[in-house]
Amino acid sequence: MAAHISPDEIRAEVEKFWSILSGKSKERLENLYSPAAIVFTGKARRSERGPLTAIRRMRQVAGPDSTSNAEIDPIEIQIAGTDVAIASYTYRFHSNKKEKDGSRLVRKTLFGRSTQIFQRDDRGALKIVHEHLSSAAPPALEKTKD
Amino acid sequence: MAPTSADEVRALVQKFWGNFIRKSQRQFEELYSPSATVFAADARRGEPARLMLVRRGRELFGPGSAVGAKLDSIDVQILREDLAVASYAFHFTVTRSLPNGKRVSVDVPFGRATQVWQRDASGALKIIHEHMSSAEPVSPKDLPTATQS
Repeated sequence: MAAHISPDEIRAEVEKFWSILSGKSKERLENLYSPAAIVFTGKARRSERGPLTAIRRMRQVAGPDSTSNAEIDPIEIQIAGTDVAIASYTYRFHSNKKEKDGSRLVRKTLFGRSTQIFQRDDRGALKIVHEHLSSAAPPALEKTKD
Repeated sequence: MAPTSADEVRALVQKFWGNFIRKSQRQFEELYSPSATVFAADARRGEPARLMLVRRGRELFGPGSAVGAKLDSIDVQILREDLAVASYAFHFTVTRSLPNGKRVSVDVPFGRATQVWQRDASGALKIIHEHMSSAEPVSPKDLPTATQS
C-alpha cells in the first residue's frame, strides 16, 4: 500500500513541473500527468486533455532560441484523504522566443495563479489529474529586434 | 455512505449557480467547506473561501446587483468515492452598484471554473477548493445611474 502524501512530496512535484517548463530539466512533462488529466491552460477558452497540453508545452520548451524562467510563491497544500492533494500558489513566468520575422517576443506573466491536483496512481507515483492555470492580469508582451 | 456520482456533482454545480443567481446567500455559502480555499476570478492571490464569501455577499447579493450565468457542459472527475472535481466553461454577467453610487456591468464570456467537492462528516458534498478565471481580460462598463437617466 502506498504511503500517505506529504506536503514535501507535492512541493517537489510542483518544482519539477516548473523546472521542466523552464527548460532546466531533461524530464518529460508528459510523465507528470495522468492519462485522463484535464487542464485549463492560461488562456484557453476550454479545457483539454493533460497529455495533449504537455506535448505542446514540451515542443515550445524544446524550440530553438527559446528561453524561459519561472518563480513560484509559497505553495498552499490541501491533503484530501490518503491519495489526493491540491496545490495552489501564485507564480511569475517569463519567456523569450525568436519569431519568424527575426524579432524576439518577450512575454511576462506577472500574476499567474495555479491549481494542480495530484493523485497517486496504481504504481504509487503522484500524477497531475487536474490543472487550472490563469492570470489575474493580461501578460505583458514586448517585441524587440535582435 | 453512497459513492459520489457525476450526476450528483453536476446537480450541485447547477444548484451553486442557481443560488448565486437567485441571491440565496445562505444556501450559496453552505456549499463551501469552512476550510475551503479559492482563487476568485479577479484576485491576484488565493484566499480562504470565508473571506471571498463576505466580499461576494457585500458586492453581489445586495438589492442593487444582478448575476446571470450560462454553463457549458460540466466535466466531472471522480477521484475517490468521496471526492470529485467539476470543471466547465461559463458565460457570466453581473450588474452591481459601487460604494460611490456608480453602477457597472461586467460581461465575462469565457469564464472557466474548477471546483473540488469532498463529502464531509455529515455526508454532504462541499467545495474544498475553487479556481475561477477568465480566458480573456474583462473590464467593467459604467452604467447610467438613476439620477442620470
